[in-house]
Amino acid sequence: MSSDGMRTRRRGAAAAIVAASLALVASGCSSSGSGSKGPAGTAASTDTTSTVIIDLTSQGCEPKPATVPAGPVSFEVANSGAGSVSEAELRTSDLAHILGEQENLTPGLSGSFSLTIQPGTYKISCPGASRQDWTFTVTGTATGPSWQSNPQLRAAVQGYAGYVKQNTADLVSHTRTFCRAINAQDMNQAKVLYPQVRVYYERIEPVAEVWGSLDTSIDGRWENPVTVRSQFTGFHRIEQMLWQDNSPNGASAMCSGLVTNEQQLLTLVSTAQYNPLEMASGAADLINEAGTSKISGEEERYSNTDLRVFAANVEASMKVVTLLQPYLQGQDSGLVPLIRQREAAVEKLLANLTATPGYDQTGYVEYTAVTKAERRQLSAAVNALAEAMSQMSARVSA
Amino acid sequence: MSAGRQAGEQLTQQPPGEATGRSGPSRRRLLTGAGLFGAGAVAGGLAGYFTGSPDDSPGAAPGTQTIPFYGAHQAGIITPAQDRLAFGTMNVVPGASRADLRDLLRAWTGAAAQMAAGQLVGEESEANAPPVDTGEAVGSPVSRLTMTIGYGPALFDDRFGLAARKPAALADLPPLPNENLDPGYTGGDLCIQACSDNPLVAFHAVRNLARIGMGVVAHNWMELGFGRTSTTSTAQATPRNLLGFKDGTRNIKAEQADLQNRHVWVGQETDQPWLRGGSYLVARKIRMFVENWDRDYLADQEKVIGRAKVSGAPLSGGSEFSTPDFARTGADGQPAIPADAHIRLASPEHNGGIHILRRGYSFTDGIDPQAGTLLGGLFFIAFMKNPSQFVRLQTALAGDALNEYIHHTGSAVFACPPGLRPGQHWGDALFS
Repeated sequence: MSSDGMRTRRRGAAAAIVAASLALVASGCSSSGSGSKGPAGTAASTDTTSTVIIDLTSQGCEPKPATVPAGPVSFEVANSGAGSVSEAELRTSDLAHILGEQENLTPGLSGSFSLTIQPGTYKISCPGASRQDWTFTVTGTATGPSWQSNPQLRAAVQGYAGYVKQNTADLVSHTRTFCRAINAQDMNQAKVLYPQVRVYYERIEPVAEVWGSLDTSIDGRWENPVTVRSQFTGFHRIEQMLWQDNSPNGASAMCSGLVTNEQQLLTLVSTAQYNPLEMASGAADLINEAGTSKISGEEERYSNTDLRVFAANVEASMKVVTLLQPYLQGQDSGLVPLIRQREAAVEKLLANLTATPGYDQTGYVEYTAVTKAERRQLSAAVNALAEAMSQMSARVSA
Repeated sequence: MSAGRQAGEQLTQQPPGEATGRSGPSRRRLLTGAGLFGAGAVAGGLAGYFTGSPDDSPGAAPGTQTIPFYGAHQAGIITPAQDRLAFGTMNVVPGASRADLRDLLRAWTGAAAQMAAGQLVGEESEANAPPVDTGEAVGSPVSRLTMTIGYGPALFDDRFGLAARKPAALADLPPLPNENLDPGYTGGDLCIQACSDNPLVAFHAVRNLARIGMGVVAHNWMELGFGRTSTTSTAQATPRNLLGFKDGTRNIKAEQADLQNRHVWVGQETDQPWLRGGSYLVARKIRMFVENWDRDYLADQEKVIGRAKVSGAPLSGGSEFSTPDFARTGADGQPAIPADAHIRLASPEHNGGIHILRRGYSFTDGIDPQAGTLLGGLFFIAFMKNPSQFVRLQTALAGDALNEYIHHTGSAVFACPPGLRPGQHWGDALFS
């Protein structure tokens, strides 16, 4: 049974996604306390930082002032009395989320946390006080995401935009070559080219999936999510024709339709905007994808060329790690080494499955030759890698 | 003495007027059951087994509460959802006849009524006979056990002369988005939904009914649910599913008779009078890719569902039971509850006012043998006036953001007859 239902179209890069994620994420996750990890120091240096004083007493934690302009804010929290209230939190107005906090301030201690806050109403909360929740207001107009003022993150995002654009352009040109083999009825050549073309799509998948119906027409699988015969188009319909139907009938038209859709994707990708949070979570998604649809053999079910695209998923997510590495190292020096260590474990298992020239010249064995035990080892290693990668989003969100 | 072979011999004369000269092994075994449990021959008041006490008796010890077996509707539908589920589907075996099936349903009725009352099945056993009751629930409190029966579309084929009794609305579900169905978890001639706050008691009920049915029916597939994911009474707190979110906040509740009549109970609209007062049960085995879900960041998880994870409040604001405001936009101009959020696409507001009564459970089948990941999720059960309600909702969920993390792998639909009065049996109305 196939076990894959992965459509990661919410993810990635479209401008709309960026906009949608700003309100909470940009304000919420850019906090840093003294000693904690977070990109607060990245706030635009040209902006004026507002300072808010909070004195913890048994009566409460009144912020002074209670209203500040949008932008970087530093909260200076002190427990100057002898009260048992030891914590101040900045929360969303519905109290559902903590955006920043300073805790464990026993009498006599003080500390601070700072973040960049978007306009709106918030609460300062101090559990245990007779009045726990105090309104805090941020005025003015929304500012741009603070990551843009960080050169390392800016470079990472630019690098990713270029990577996606290049791979999409390569996708189009390699698909054209693939279509020429199909048009010439050269089935063997088409079978060799198919996994090579797939690599480019698998590298940019978290971005492509933002445009759900386009992604489905390029990469949709039967029953996942396509359930209407006439809507089964793109790579996997052609894959079925080549390996299962063993007939190129109709493949030429299908292939030229694929190129048309890919060109549309190239146009969309050319103007897409990205942010570090979606880059990071898209990288983890790619590993999730490798761990589900490739391990199960669902995705390339007719050709059994799963290992080549599996490798492409890992490769593309590691590209994101490399791009974010300069910034991540400053935030959490242990994370990138952990990710690389776990990637090495995946690569070691993959290396056992390489072959020359390999099944359909993929460089790997046919996926059906991978034993159950090997699949489980690979799955465990991939899950461990994804788990480590999923820690990136909290580090880079700004 | 009515257990074992002797009982079988003795009871081949019963029930009166039903022994019409057919014979054969399966018939004989079946009549053993029919004699034991049919025709009102329930041996009440047996001591020492899983103890029942009258429903709602004040001060009853924990777990001893019983749910009345008889009533206008079958128990186990608007009964406040119990904590545990055993759900068994069975197929009638080749060669079993219409009379075999009818007799089995009578036998099941008696056994189910006994178990619901907190008694064990049959009387005490003889030393030289296999025990009538399998025994594992002895000493376990009855814990609100209910057993709900349903008839699958295939039961109305040409095997039992029931084709003319087939409700027009009862048919296998059409292909639906985000499913890849395992035939091993799909369909069935009959289903028994056993629910109890005690897992052993629920399991015992399905096991014993299946045992009584041997020779007439055989197991098709079975699922155990280890935690309810729905609330069917305003008196219950909303539980959480394996995604860690509250589930069933907007479910139809036992206290909402008007919504039940409009959306749950089959009424005058059916072409089959025997089904009036009954309901359709749709079961879906929904795998959750929990490892992938667990790696998604909190704000995104909340956007996928459309609710805050801890409080359960809709992202449009308020508290758990605040009505979601799907029109509300956030500071960024985007809908506060995203366009592809699960609660938006599944809402009555998005589906022409349709409701269903959900009664699902978390399940696990252990570890995915191929990937080594957790194999589990939601065993979705819902009751409705017409299966088309589910079809509409699941079709609307084609663009659900949650589809990235879930996949439907099993499916079945059953027509659940109305409740019984004492002396009536399952199948009476169907076969009359």
